[in-house]
Amino acid sequence: MSVFDLDFWVGAGVIAGIYGIFALGLQLNIGFTGIMNLGQAGFMCVGAYTMGILVVDAGWPLALAFAAAIIVAVAAGVLVGLPSLRLRADYFGIVTIAFSEIVRYVFQNAAFAGGNQGVIGYDAEWRAFQAWASQRLATIGLGEATQMPLLIAVWAALLLCLVVLQALQVSPWGRVLKAIREDEDAAAALGKNVFAFKLQSLGIAAALATIAGFFLAMNVTYLYPSEFDPSFTFFGYAVLILGGFASYGAVVVGAVLLCTLTEGLRFLDLPLSAGQAGSLRFIIVGLVLIGLSMFRPQGLLGSDAEMQLRA
Amino acid sequence: MTATSKADGPILVVGEVTKRFGGLRAVDRASFAVARGSITALIGPNGAGKTTLLDLVSGYDRPDKGAVHFEGRRIDGLASHRIARRGVVRTFQLTRVFAAMSVRDNMMLGAQRQAGEHLHRLVFSRAAVQRTEDTVHERAERLMRAFALDAKASEYAGALSGGQRKLLEFARALMAEPRLVLLDEPMAGVNRALGAKLLDEVERLRREEGMTFLFIEHDIDIVMQRADQVVVMAEGRVVAEGPPDFIRRDQRVVDAYLGRRGNAA
Repeated sequence: MSVFDLDFWVGAGVIAGIYGIFALGLQLNIGFTGIMNLGQAGFMCVGAYTMGILVVDAGWPLALAFAAAIIVAVAAGVLVGLPSLRLRADYFGIVTIAFSEIVRYVFQNAAFAGGNQGVIGYDAEWRAFQAWASQRLATIGLGEATQMPLLIAVWAALLLCLVVLQALQVSPWGRVLKAIREDEDAAAALGKNVFAFKLQSLGIAAALATIAGFFLAMNVTYLYPSEFDPSFTFFGYAVLILGGFASYGAVVVGAVLLCTLTEGLRFLDLPLSAGQAGSLRFIIVGLVLIGLSMFRPQGLLGSDAEMQLRA
Repeated sequence: MTATSKADGPILVVGEVTKRFGGLRAVDRASFAVARGSITALIGPNGAGKTTLLDLVSGYDRPDKGAVHFEGRRIDGLASHRIARRGVVRTFQLTRVFAAMSVRDNMMLGAQRQAGEHLHRLVFSRAAVQRTEDTVHERAERLMRAFALDAKASEYAGALSGGQRKLLEFARALMAEPRLVLLDEPMAGVNRALGAKLLDEVERLRREEGMTFLFIEHDIDIVMQRADQVVVMAEGRVVAEGPPDFIRRDQRVVDAYLGRRGNAA
């Protein structure tokens, strides 16, 4: 495989887009509300499985199933948040990661979710669309890479989410979230219902996880539980560390960087077994993250001033 | 006291309130009333339970026993944001500004009933959101000018000096248009000139807008000059209540401050 393989980089771009949408939710939670959501992969799992099961078992149209999946994931966010959002940040993180694992193990063992075989056959409508779109793209010279329609769709969705979130962040609603991040007692003293705002923040993050889950599902063609391992959430946090906290633009930069790094390192030609080479990639990614936290702790686009003010 | 105070009765009534922390009775059957439109000082030696009492009134903690009534309605046990919405806003002993937000955003956050704080209204009633935002912005600018914070409006609140933070916290509380303001040591760490300005503002707001103030203060000179009612606490109890001149001569107050041994000597 050559470094200039178009299909390979289109595929990497799709993954970057998925991580981007996924991490926008984390940025909303930790970067702008100050709540440590470690269960984002769990929300993505709930969303993607809901969509897959509704299409395959209930015969719903894909678009309708996707809309229902967002509602179910947001409901899951509210359900997780109701008992746990009053906890201190670290305990809330523990509850969310537990939720994420519970979801994964349930889907791994439940008959309705296909167990370890997972869910397959939900993407016929998408394949048809992709074939149609590829033909159209071929007329303007973009038909070579099979995943090109998915790449365009995922990045269009990412940019749309980014614009919406940015608009919310500069609104009075976003101002309250920031105040909660800074000092929730003081926000409550000014009449803000801290709990309700945190719940909304978590619900929107769950919706974003579902959008990411939709594109993940279209990218991998079948759903199985280990795709929704908590490590997916941790890679989401790696995106934030690379890009920077409290900035949505930073999420895009972080996602592109992380995927360029993890995917690009596949081209390292070393006398190692495939397993060893895979491990080495993650060692290098880890070293980059450590180096970044030492020399540029605010991330590439993060604000140094805000970090110091809060220290 | 203003003319309306007698007609309306007290704005705040603290009745037989008790709060225990383990074996310690931080507040022990404390009772007092705050007259509407008054500037009431809450004084007492360290550990007397003054800040705990403020926490109980503002909803940061719940009393174990007793009741707190604001404008005739019971408020103890309500969440702090609900108490704030009823018109009781507090400041903190250690100033709490939103450090990584601009001074202007700190101020604007203080306003109540903002349309733009609701997601559905952001989508469906943009005009209403813009209208409230303009009103809130205008009031924030006016208050920042009154407190000489306008030059710093775009800076991070965390970059302000200690005294400026006190002013910001106070001005921010006023953005909520409260009827009762609870101030926990507003003068601590503020230089005399700035402190005097703050107290002048308190007097103006009481006079022109009928606001009521309950403040904790250690500087007895300030209390005697500025307060028209004084509540004295010691060891969790209210030991005296009355106008400054009366309090000054009260033997229980002298005991509370100097200790009983001092009295015996």
